[in-house]
Amino acid sequence: MGKPSPSRTIAKSDFKRISEQIWELPRDFREDMRAPARLYADDALLEAALTDNSVEQLVNTATLPGIVKYAIAMPDIHQGYGFPIGGVVATKLPDGIISPGGVGYDINCGVRLLASEALVEEISPFLSELASALYHNCPSGVGVHGEIKLQDTELDKVLVEGGSWARQRGLARNQDLERTEEFGAMPGADPEYVSHKARERGRGQIGTLGAGNHFIEVDCVAEVYDETAAERLGLLPGQAVVQIHCGSRGFGHQVCEDYVARFQKTVRDFGIELADRELVCAPFESQEGQQYFHAMACAANFAFANRQVLAHQIRRTFEQVLAGKVPAFDLHQVYDIAHNMAKIEEHEVGGRRMQLCVHRKGATRAFGPGSPGLPDDLRDLGQPVLIPGSMGTASYVLIGTRGSMEQTFGSTCHGAGRVWSRARARKMVRGEELRQELKSRGIAVRAGSMSGLAEEAPQAYKDVSRVVDVVERAGIGKKVARLEPVAVIKG
Amino acid sequence: MASDLRFREVEHTADRAFTVRGRDLAELFALAARALGTIQGQPADTRETISRQLEVSGVDRETLLVNWLNEILYLQDVHKESYSRFEVATIFDTSLRASLHGEPDASSRRTIKAVTFHGLKIERLPDGWEATIVVDV
Repeated sequence: MGKPSPSRTIAKSDFKRISEQIWELPRDFREDMRAPARLYADDALLEAALTDNSVEQLVNTATLPGIVKYAIAMPDIHQGYGFPIGGVVATKLPDGIISPGGVGYDINCGVRLLASEALVEEISPFLSELASALYHNCPSGVGVHGEIKLQDTELDKVLVEGGSWARQRGLARNQDLERTEEFGAMPGADPEYVSHKARERGRGQIGTLGAGNHFIEVDCVAEVYDETAAERLGLLPGQAVVQIHCGSRGFGHQVCEDYVARFQKTVRDFGIELADRELVCAPFESQEGQQYFHAMACAANFAFANRQVLAHQIRRTFEQVLAGKVPAFDLHQVYDIAHNMAKIEEHEVGGRRMQLCVHRKGATRAFGPGSPGLPDDLRDLGQPVLIPGSMGTASYVLIGTRGSMEQTFGSTCHGAGRVWSRARARKMVRGEELRQELKSRGIAVRAGSMSGLAEEAPQAYKDVSRVVDVVERAGIGKKVARLEPVAVIKG
Repeated sequence: MASDLRFREVEHTADRAFTVRGRDLAELFALAARALGTIQGQPADTRETISRQLEVSGVDRETLLVNWLNEILYLQDVHKESYSRFEVATIFDTSLRASLHGEPDASSRRTIKAVTFHGLKIERLPDGWEATIVVDV
């Protein structure tokens, strides 16, 4: 394998168009690629992807040892660090690698959707009060701590049991766990491989939202595309639903930091040459690879528990604000998905079933009908997929398809995808003006920082509807419903 | 580039990135640490009621820089503190000794999750050192 070529400008003409929505850079595009790179996009989204370094980052991931089929990018691709955001890479076990940089710092960042018995028109007179109470009851900000401070023994239970720990404390219902990816607990978690520093950062952060693009949002089911699937998921037009977008907080950040730093030496020991140092990795079956996997699973379970406690706090807040005012408002869980994770899955490659380590960095698992790991009552339907839009714009509920199993290792997009840098968004948008504009459109906003709000302005993102249309036309996701926001709570 | 703080933010789509320059490695590392606080909107000057001594190591100069900055993020996160003065007493390619000076800060003015290795290079210039650093927010 030759040394990485110096970076070069990548143009639309470098791609071979495989189909209306699939563009490919062949394996010989760059000397160090071990597989072709495929990007799902229409013309406009491809052109948007070429405005930053995200496609070069995609090509870098195609150099990882053990990669099979293609390095894949979803239509919401944008520049990240190491992997592009919207990237999927699967490596063949036992020799293929696992990369902490391919999961990222917010391990098991994901989305949970709760659906209320109430319609938006029933809760709308109390929406402002509800938004304020949610902001108050769900602490936000990067270093912020919540009400629960865990001692080591109990923290270990969180790390191994995830959502099930919350159920034992009366903070989860059985159905919540059934409707969570991995049923709320990633196998393979072993706290022995988690540092003291990760514990110190995480022990007070269960039940907190974080900052950046994390949010809680109250939405209205604005349109249903597939009535049968929507009914099976308990969704109907006009219904109030709540999305939670957050991850493993400081705990996951520290796990990633620990292993990215440690693997700087590991790659030298294994003689792995990399196009970017953030792509550090180790063979999955090596001692180092296994240690990271055990620690990553702990962070994944921390995130499942975190979103579960937030869901509990949201249910409590609905009770606090709506009891006696709205006849029925209980929230049932539609699903909870991860979009930053490395998982061991079996997929067909070249006509053979293979065990793979599938990295999804800003991409959502989207298992089709009949796949293992789905709840019994949804197995024939396919996995619910939650695609949050940018602040103030639509979000989508999809289901996984056979096409996603065949094409993308059971994966699809994860959101709208940024087009503006945060610096540009702060320059172009004033947070307070944006808050007023959203208010005039009937969207209540509660935010910890006006500059943080400006960074997340809808103009800074691609059109989520366009992104979702691409994955639907490509056959790697099927639309079930569109959600429109009525209240946004941000860190 | 601001005269009092030799760093400038550079465009990055999802996260934040900055370039920092120092006359020597000790100054480069200290100014990179100050840049983290500036990006997070922390005060440029604090009362300096808290001092912490640090020893950091890494397999090479770049790893040392990332470990140093992540250690500061860890300390501010766990102890709820802001730092405004950074003294790098000794620095080699794989280790440093330094002190941080600042004050308690219970606010949620912490927006950086981690400092990354993405595209990281520490380069020697005719009149000093330069690094471009991407942070995850």
